Amino acid sequence: MSHESWLELADVYALGTLDGDERRTFETHLATGCAGCGARIRETGETLMHLARTLPPVPAPPAVGERVLAAVSSERRPVGQPEAEATLESRPARARRARHLLWWGGWATALGAAGLLVVVGVSLTQTREELEWLRGRVAVLQDELTEREATLRFLSDPKVRYVSLGGLAASPAASGWLLWNPETRRGLLLTRGLPPAPADRAYELWAIAGSDPVPAGVFGVDQAGRALFRLPALPGGKAFDKFAVTQEPAGGVPKPSGPMHLLGTP
Amino acid sequence: MGQAPGDDSALLVQGVARGDRDALARLYDRFGTLVFTVSLHLLRARAEAEDLLQEVFLQVWRQASAYDPERGSPEAWLLTIARSRGIDKLRSMRRSDERIRPTEDVRPTPDVGVASGADPSEARVTVGGVLASLPDAQRRVLELAYFEGLTLSEIATRLGEPLGTVKTRMRTGLERMRGVLSSASGVARS
Repeated sequence: MSHESWLELADVYALGTLDGDERRTFETHLATGCAGCGARIRETGETLMHLARTLPPVPAPPAVGERVLAAVSSERRPVGQPEAEATLESRPARARRARHLLWWGGWATALGAAGLLVVVGVSLTQTREELEWLRGRVAVLQDELTEREATLRFLSDPKVRYVSLGGLAASPAASGWLLWNPETRRGLLLTRGLPPAPADRAYELWAIAGSDPVPAGVFGVDQAGRALFRLPALPGGKAFDKFAVTQEPAGGVPKPSGPMHLLGTP
Repeated sequence: MGQAPGDDSALLVQGVARGDRDALARLYDRFGTLVFTVSLHLLRARAEAEDLLQEVFLQVWRQASAYDPERGSPEAWLLTIARSRGIDKLRSMRRSDERIRPTEDVRPTPDVGVASGADPSEARVTVGGVLASLPDAQRRVLELAYFEGLTLSEIATRLGEPLGTVKTRMRTGLERMRGVLSSASGVARS
């Protein structure tokens, strides 16, 4: 198995979605102390943290905090004996895995006698994996094609309006263009001259109706401050009279909080 | 990783590891809302989410000495614990009795939804931000994994798609998210 394949599994594992034999195989690999996979799981964990931050926050009940503190006040934690570390696998699952390993161990011994069968089996498995991988690639290429076709359809629609966005005090040299279709509520944003955002920040586009800003997507820029970004379909029922770009925490926020870099009126 | 706030929170975790209850209270003040928000989205029932929130911070109290800053920020660590326990709860609820799955949905409606997609349950979990920038098929797979806690094979069954396809969409979606979040990594793709 190539290391790229392990990294693929690391992504899925970090999401908590890996199950069955693949999960067992990956955890065996992880237990060898693979630094690359560990780093990938960490990186994906941080990416997912930004995803969590895009949810509209629901305040934690203070009563729960009080219950936690009351519970720890009456508890003596054994120093130097932490519980098993947080893992995406439950205890029953670990026990099942141990049983499975024993079970498979017996089979492996039996199969060892029939070496040829193993070779054929491995080869078949590899072919199946390759086929699965190719299927996935085709699906993703189809996604991209669908996106490009949607962009072309969007551009050829006569209802599309052109909105010029001007740089504000935070980046006076920046500029942008928004192609906006008020009927389909879709748009395409192009920028240039925006300063590259720090690692934990990104740009967020806002469609503003009166004084009510609606988040319209998060994007990154290249070294020249350029971006080409297709907006998600925005909710209907509002006539947007301004569009703005602000710099926000990397995952995006429900309400603007950072400095405004671009502003324009349809 | 944000150095200043991350370091500060890491100090709080170190305090908890030494048995400092004030540090635990401050950690709760700082991250309780985020943990509760994610718990509520995952479990959909307020009482269950409150239990999960309590369990997460009790686990933090007991395991703080095992936290390794080299392996991620305290925030990401807390969320890993919350999702790990939450997904376990969700799966045992699904296994024991489908009826247990609560019909109440106390999750707040996101401030912006992505209007595409005919499935109302899909619209309910759709959020703005970086996820909204992904192609619909990749976004749907990540939503089912992250917000519904489904496994790869459950997602494949739900969508009626081959496992490999779901896996590749998931990874491509994550890659694109990483691309946006790391910024300056190239022109954002349309």
